[in-house]
Amino acid sequence: MILTGQAIANAVKSGDITIDPFVPGQVNPNSYNFTLGPSFRVYKEGVLNPREKNQTDEIWMKDGEIVLQPRRLYLAHTRERIGSKKFAPTYAARSSVARLGMFINLSASLGDIGFIGQWTIQLFALHPIRLYEGMAIGQMMFWQPKGEIELYEGKYQGAYGPIASRIHRDVAVEPVDTENALMVGE
Amino acid sequence: MLLTGGKIHEEVCRNAITISDFDENNLEPNSYGFRLGEEIIVYDEAEVDGLGPRRTTKVTIPEHGYVLEPDRFYLGHTYETMGSNEYASEIYARLSTSALGIFIQTSAPLGHTGAIVKWTLEIVVAQHVIAYPKMLIGKICFWENTGEVRGYAGRYAGSQTVIPSLLSAEAP
Repeated sequence: MILTGQAIANAVKSGDITIDPFVPGQVNPNSYNFTLGPSFRVYKEGVLNPREKNQTDEIWMKDGEIVLQPRRLYLAHTRERIGSKKFAPTYAARSSVARLGMFINLSASLGDIGFIGQWTIQLFALHPIRLYEGMAIGQMMFWQPKGEIELYEGKYQGAYGPIASRIHRDVAVEPVDTENALMVGE
Repeated sequence: MLLTGGKIHEEVCRNAITISDFDENNLEPNSYGFRLGEEIIVYDEAEVDGLGPRRTTKVTIPEHGYVLEPDRFYLGHTYETMGSNEYASEIYARLSTSALGIFIQTSAPLGHTGAIVKWTLEIVVAQHVIAYPKMLIGKICFWENTGEVRGYAGRYAGSQTVIPSLLSAEAP
């Protein structure tokens, strides 16, 4: 079951859902609108390697604005701390934002019960798009789970600001000779 | 809980779900297959301002098809009017569509309870592919609500064709 907006507002009041800050005007029939923070991370040029910490540049909006370059990945973050110890979260772009010609997640819309923090979202524009600090960019939905709940204790818990992939922490492997990775066309 | 195809059919008959026009052949085990409408729009601006006004060009997909290009962004719409005052909904591409490299939404699958519209689709393709009017393109599924339902009264309420982003309404 998906929570209605009224159920989300009630759960925020009772503490079952954290949305901080919470603005009643951002409640939708089945979701809550979250807003865009001013800072981003973009990966440095080169081939990303899931077995290593990949280097990023931090980018800040200028005068509260940024123009996304097309087909470049920007890791952004929600200004709100969001999560729940009782309901499973998923998030989506607001329809108005998707219609601008951009993704805000790349097929990773499902969160974990127990994660509470600022969400890192993946902005990917299909042409240059100008965005503004604090604009309502996406929406969080909450779902009633079935079964015993084990709370999230993962590597992104309590996230603040845009977080680069920590996938390299998943695998404790011998350092590999990346020179031998197969390149396209080989 | 997710509605099965049989339950979707039942709720369409009860008018708790609107799918118009409805063809029971398009019922799936837990969704309903919808078709692509005839109108497509593209943005004219080189840079799209999130909160700015925008200019668009509308194209009607001819019967013999329209070639979608990988470096463009298109807005299309569902042929059917779909939604419910009792259930929330989500749309996804059909496997047959995404297996051709077609996205039909860019991370915005949710349909709010009370939004009964021709859905605008955000179309991106991985390689050149021909779109035909009324081709089966996606599927809609319906979710039970928990909590008090307050219907959708947003800016896209009642949409009957493809609508570009109206986000400029939120400009300060």
